[in-house]
Amino acid sequence: MKRWRYTANASFYGLRRDRFTQYQPAAGVEERIRNVAATEGISGIELKYPFDFDNPKLVKDLLAETGLELSAVNVDIKDATYFRFGALSAQKSAARDKAVELLTAGMDLAAELDANLVSTCPLADGYDYPFQVDFTDAWGYFTETVSRICRHREDVRLALEYQPHEPHSRILLSNVGKMLHVCSEVDLPNIGANFDVGHSFAALESPGESAALLASQKRLFYLHSSDNTGDGGDWDMISGSVHFWHWIELLLTLDAVGYDGWIGADIMPKFGTARDFYITNKKMIDSMIGLIEHLGEEELRRLCGEDGSSAIIYEMFADRLASL
Amino acid sequence: MNKLSIITGFLGGVKNRYITYEADRDLIEKFKLASKIKGLEGFELCYPADFSDPGLLKKLLSDYGYGVSAVNVRTRRTGKWWRGSFTSSDAQEREDVVVEIKNAMDAAREVGATRITTCPLNDGHDYVFEMNYIDAYRYAQECFVEICSHDPGVNICIEYKWNDPRTRCFFASAGETVAFCNSVGADNLGATLDIGHSIQTGERPAQAAALLAQAGRLFYVHLNDNDRNFDWDHIPGAFNFWEFIEFFFYLRELGYTDDWYAYDVMSKEIDTVETFDTVFDVTRKLEQLAYDIDRPTVMDLMKERNPAKVMRFLYEKVI
Repeated sequence: MKRWRYTANASFYGLRRDRFTQYQPAAGVEERIRNVAATEGISGIELKYPFDFDNPKLVKDLLAETGLELSAVNVDIKDATYFRFGALSAQKSAARDKAVELLTAGMDLAAELDANLVSTCPLADGYDYPFQVDFTDAWGYFTETVSRICRHREDVRLALEYQPHEPHSRILLSNVGKMLHVCSEVDLPNIGANFDVGHSFAALESPGESAALLASQKRLFYLHSSDNTGDGGDWDMISGSVHFWHWIELLLTLDAVGYDGWIGADIMPKFGTARDFYITNKKMIDSMIGLIEHLGEEELRRLCGEDGSSAIIYEMFADRLASL
Repeated sequence: MNKLSIITGFLGGVKNRYITYEADRDLIEKFKLASKIKGLEGFELCYPADFSDPGLLKKLLSDYGYGVSAVNVRTRRTGKWWRGSFTSSDAQEREDVVVEIKNAMDAAREVGATRITTCPLNDGHDYVFEMNYIDAYRYAQECFVEICSHDPGVNICIEYKWNDPRTRCFFASAGETVAFCNSVGADNLGATLDIGHSIQTGERPAQAAALLAQAGRLFYVHLNDNDRNFDWDHIPGAFNFWEFIEFFFYLRELGYTDDWYAYDVMSKEIDTVETFDTVFDVTRKLEQLAYDIDRPTVMDLMKERNPAKVMRFLYEKVI
């Protein structure tokens, strides 16, 4: 089994909030970078544009000092100041232009800092009620705007992060099928997915299947690990804490399709420290990889390719787990 | 006819984890804004936030002529009761919430209300093996026994909910709540049936109302709607149209007709006054559709239990 490099989303190392409560003290970008660097096993960092880049030189110096690699520039396009009624799919061209401005600036920054990957989760592009959005127009604008951004420069990849809902009850880019539709419409080599495993669970997918689909079209650019209860909420839980076997299947699939990118993570620390949660998340993934090797990856792959082998596979799991 | 009230928290500071839609408003600003909403008759007040100046609160209620449907005690707060209040393993935290609710009961009396509602949102868990459920039930029972005995003339309502901010709330359904109330045994302990929470938790809201009422625990009703995935606090009837008709029909059957509906509806990017104007008009329309149903016919149809006939009746005679 392949071993991947781990990166942390620095947003989770400071103030977090949900609708009801705030968690963790606020922390500036320097403190968050230093805390990510102090997280054992993490060699990369994902930073948010524009919020984390008030002083790009400071960020650059801190990355050099800590040895962290910038895995992605995560561009925020849900600021209600501009995107109250959508960003990539907005009816008003001013909102779409602003999204293009932010994302192309993020691409330039990513190139300058050797990340060469921009990620964005288009959460402002959604709706709550029937008849709230003209879907034909919205999807037309969405793909047109994404094309504009991708054409800005070929050497930086744009990874879109699909999510089924929140803050709207429906997000346009809600599942792997729509993700691949966008890739097909844009038809440029630098458009692909930031595959968030928790979002895939929330979209009622089997992440292993979704990863295989994305990889088959060369669109699996980046990955956020996490887990949730599978009943709608994107809880950003520790990987494998709920969907243990689905996570095992995903890791086996990532290895099979030759995924060579980062393992990022959106993990909500809530009551502990981000450092502890990210260390545990990495340990869980490492342990699951180790377990696959113990279970017998070659035999598992062979059995997966045989019809009607589910009972044999789980019997094998039972035997090997009992021997631990 | 049930009166219409808004939870004051929805008149300012509306936010989710990504976006703040409305800036915070003080009490005076909230009353001023609310006075523009047609049909509003009262508030569900938030405790302690709305009670920092009880004199001002009473004056505003009097000046504007609003009633109080209930006092909502916030048992989840930033920096307190993070790991639960009634179910906390920390005895001091449990004692604090008991005192807080007793104080709120006294404060409710001061503004003419005899109903406390609380949604114990941090009483729950995210991960397996995070909570000792056996201890948690015992702690909660002990808390509510003490709270309910403080003033038996004030009803205490537990607002059950499936999740958020915890991945699983401790009181998630009508069944869990009614069983818990029965285990405590106090006559003044019951449920707030938030129809959105009921829908999200997979219930048929009319059935939940019937269950709670039969046990003498249907104390209060919150109205909003969602797509069953999450508690979006949408406009009633936008998603679950027929469930609302059935719910209002049953509320009349169960005698919940001279009480309050309280609303937690997120206006989000839309104007708050415009949103609640629509919410109230839609509520009255849905209610009227339910009341216009020919009762003997629908009672006969339910005895027959033939959904083909029921659907034909609803689509031909109700809309």
